[in-house]
Amino acid sequence: MVDVSQHNLVPEHTVLDEPERVEEVLEEYNVEKTNLPKIKRKDPALRDTDAEVGDVIEIVRDSRTTDQAVVYRLVVE
Amino acid sequence: MSMQTPKEIGGIQFGLMDPETYRDMSATKVITADTYDDDGYPIDMGLMDPRLGVIDPGLECRTCGQHSGSCNGHFGHIELAAPVIHVGFTKLIRRLLRSTCRDCGRLALTEEEQEEYHEKLRRTKELGEDWSDVMKAAVRQARKAKRCPYCSSPQHDIKHEKPTTYYEVQDVLSGDYSELIAQAMQPDPDDEDDEGMSPQALAEKTGIDLQRINEIMSGSFRPRKEDRKALEKALKIDLTEEDMNKLMPSDIRDWFEDIPDEDLSSLGIDPSRSRPEWMILTVLPVPPVTARPSITLDNGQRSEDDLTHKLVDIIRINQRFMENREAGAPQLIIEDLWELLQYHVTTFIDNEISGTPPARHRSGRPLKTLSQRLKGKEGRFRGSLSGKRVNFSARTVISPDPTLSLNEVGVPERVAREMTQTMNVTERNIEEAQQYVRNGPEGHPGANYVKRPDGRRLKVTEKNCEELAEKVELGWEVNRHLVDGDIVIFNRQPSLHRMSIMAHEVVVMPYKTFRLNTVVCPPYNADFDGDEMNMHALQNEEARAEARVLMRVQEQILSPRFGENIIGAIQDHISGTYLLTHENPHFTETQALDLLRATSVDTLPEPDGEEDGEPYWTGHSIFSELLPDDLSLDFTSSTGDDVKIVDGQLVEGTIDEDAVGAFGGEIVDTITKVYSETRARVFINEIASLAMRAIMHFGFSIGIDDESIPPEANEQVDEAIENAYERIQELISTYEADELESLPGRTVDETLEMKIMQTLGKARDSAGEIADDHFGDDNPAVIMARSGARGSMLNLTQMAGCVGQQAVRGERINRGYEERTLSHYKKNDLSAEAHGFVENSYRGGLTPREFFFHAMGGREGLVDTAVRTSKSGYLQRRLINALSELEAQYDGSVRDTSGTIVQFEFGEDGTSPVKVSSSEDGDVDVESIADRIIESEFDSEEQKERFLGRVEPPTNLSEHAGPGLNKAIGTEVESDD
Ligand SMILES: [Mg+2]
Ligand SMILES: [Zn+2]
Ligand SMILES: [Zn+2]
Repeated sequence: MVDVSQHNLVPEHTVLDEPERVEEVLEEYNVEKTNLPKIKRKDPALRDTDAEVGDVIEIVRDSRTTDQAVVYRLVVE
Repeated sequence: MSMQTPKEIGGIQFGLMDPETYRDMSATKVITADTYDDDGYPIDMGLMDPRLGVIDPGLECRTCGQHSGSCNGHFGHIELAAPVIHVGFTKLIRRLLRSTCRDCGRLALTEEEQEEYHEKLRRTKELGEDWSDVMKAAVRQARKAKRCPYCSSPQHDIKHEKPTTYYEVQDVLSGDYSELIAQAMQPDPDDEDDEGMSPQALAEKTGIDLQRINEIMSGSFRPRKEDRKALEKALKIDLTEEDMNKLMPSDIRDWFEDIPDEDLSSLGIDPSRSRPEWMILTVLPVPPVTARPSITLDNGQRSEDDLTHKLVDIIRINQRFMENREAGAPQLIIEDLWELLQYHVTTFIDNEISGTPPARHRSGRPLKTLSQRLKGKEGRFRGSLSGKRVNFSARTVISPDPTLSLNEVGVPERVAREMTQTMNVTERNIEEAQQYVRNGPEGHPGANYVKRPDGRRLKVTEKNCEELAEKVELGWEVNRHLVDGDIVIFNRQPSLHRMSIMAHEVVVMPYKTFRLNTVVCPPYNADFDGDEMNMHALQNEEARAEARVLMRVQEQILSPRFGENIIGAIQDHISGTYLLTHENPHFTETQALDLLRATSVDTLPEPDGEEDGEPYWTGHSIFSELLPDDLSLDFTSSTGDDVKIVDGQLVEGTIDEDAVGAFGGEIVDTITKVYSETRARVFINEIASLAMRAIMHFGFSIGIDDESIPPEANEQVDEAIENAYERIQELISTYEADELESLPGRTVDETLEMKIMQTLGKARDSAGEIADDHFGDDNPAVIMARSGARGSMLNLTQMAGCVGQQAVRGERINRGYEERTLSHYKKNDLSAEAHGFVENSYRGGLTPREFFFHAMGGREGLVDTAVRTSKSGYLQRRLINALSELEAQYDGSVRDTSGTIVQFEFGEDGTSPVKVSSSEDGDVDVESIADRIIESEFDSEEQKERFLGRVEPPTNLSEHAGPGLNKAIGTEVESDD
């Protein structure tokens, strides 16, 4: 099967392992976890990670307006 | 009677209404279908009962005692003879029937399933997602249950026949069971070993009495379920058939009454407000007469509202139903009447149900019932609540006026006299106010109304104006006419972006059209072929302030769509600046002054030189007079012309669309961003004026002769086309000889088509080149195409050289008759002329056949635009509705109303497109902007030093306020116009 994470249009997905980092993100944007954008557990981009429901994923993608944009997503079922 | 005080709405709750509540709020029971008696009086307990409210002026409401106008009307009710289903809830009724037990009414999910379901529900609600999908999944699961997990009674599937019929699907013994059994017992004729089955063998195999078997086979005994199963097993046959047991509304009502409250909340219904059995109507509320007023026609006849007609039908059927039931009519008749009652109640609620014939008026027109009043574009929501008619608005045709500033709008005096602004009379403006009143409603800056401090409004008339003017005192309000300088909102539909609604300053003018400067045509997408626009006069100080600061045209010069200017020179302005700067012509003093007379420049710079003893000025230096003194800019226009501006002087280059045009003219864009909106407004106004003087100086016109080319050029064009025809003939011969090689991924036929199209395209291009060579650089059409003012070289090619291939759906024209486009051609003619190639030019004229093909191509274009506008309009509406709740927050993120983040940083870079440079290389010169601002902020060098050096002299006022820190100094707001 094709490994989508190797495609050049698929940005880097990393699980925020440390709870402090998650806390930091939530604090920075002053949000509840559930107010983050969502990503499905079964999303092909997460296949190589050990993400579980409730984890927060950091995605660093190339941007048309800035060089790199960082976004966070909450893993849902 | 309680005083009606305005209240704030805290929230709105939707739910079902208890039939008891209908009865409680009902002003009267309605029992007769008649409306008025012979004398024209409303009949008691009829549909026009005076207790339901009054519509005739003079009459008194029998419920509240008020007169028509102040009485809003009161509901009545009809007691339905039998319950009927409310069409608005058919889906919910189906869902409940399928998911609950037919005996005990409980949700047919086991405890574990329920638990799981609730957990899922909780999670989706927490994530702010749509929980209805989860609920639907639970309903699907409950529907699968064969037996109720609580009372273990067997469940049947529910079939819904739209709109309002429900069946229970049961497996019952087939009617011809005896024949089926007999048939199965016969030996199979195709199978010689099969000897069939004797009744004795069957009895043995099934364990049923032989006698009973015989009875069953003779059809005199219906086997019970267990026996049926045994027989089916033994004979390998199916003895059942589906039986549809119709559920009457009364059955459904009984069923729903059993559903316990806990299960209702699981299914998304709030049991404290709504009970599902209320979805089956037993009482029908009768809307007040004010909601269905009858009108008196010219001939004195009364014409009733559609709703009244429908209610008449309902009452008639209701009565017939009751009479028949009391008379003990057969069940069949009762059921028919029940269905009829259901039909009338259904169409009373919604008359556009698919599968139900709409109830019609005598004339054949479908009735407009409750749903139809609410739904759609003209319905109550979109038509009456979201889109209302507004006061203080005006609409008329627009026409151009190049003498106005782009911030202004010319308003006809008649409009100005109608639209008013409220003036609070103070000691400073009392004389002015009195003068307005004195001028009366007819004189132009006059007044229409005055309001005394006690709240009484007096109309100013021609008769009383003199008198009234003397009475005007401090504290009064005067509604004066619009005058020059007032701010109004101006709009052209379709309002597709925010620049479709902008604020303008009023200039009152004679005649009947709104006048606007031509440079604001692009943002409104307006032209003057009969376009109309709307104007709104603002009615309070906040609105006026907001409009002036945020909405004025000059604040909208930069478009948020592409971050460049959308207002700038267009059409003749661009031809004008092109003529002025292209060959850098020389002007005498008189001519130079004349060019600049409509601008604020009133002294000429040093002449550029002398010619025949007279000083002259070049086009470049005249243009440069409009530029800011310290503007330096370098760019290459799309025609490849290098434009160089050094310290406010145009050194070289031609000023065309890329320099000053709307949609990203480099100079306009830079001035707006680096200087200010105000400077840009001045620049655009003056460019437009200068360009108009310039184009008039040179003279600019276009006629049919401007597109003619010399005969030898025509011959060349003909030759080029002839060559193409020859090549095509070769292609066709190769094709017919089966020698044409196909291109990769194409068939031979497609290859041929492509090659022919290619050849013809080249032929047209070379015709264009030939024509182009024979046009002078001073040809007006060429000037317009090159400067970007209007038109393209392709238009010129088509006018002078060759119109070229006509296409429908991107292919040569292939439709029409069998194997040919027109009967003028042989079948399967592949030549150019047989498939819509127009070899003539527009100027030369098309042959009839060419003209026909051209019309085919042209028609496709028209259809496409018509389809595109309606499609994209709908798409836009949906997109706007989906995005309207997104909001950029103060922390830079974009969130929806539930607080869910959509973008962590607006546009990922957190910047507004109108505040950044629009090109990669040309950065906004922040340094010079900062210098300029600092320069203008301080009165003296000393002050500046003090501020920048942070040398703060002691102050006796406060530690935080002192000279140089007080930002208010030097930032007095100046009026722009
Ligand atoms: Mg038009
Ligand atoms: Zn009333
Ligand atoms: Zn049950």
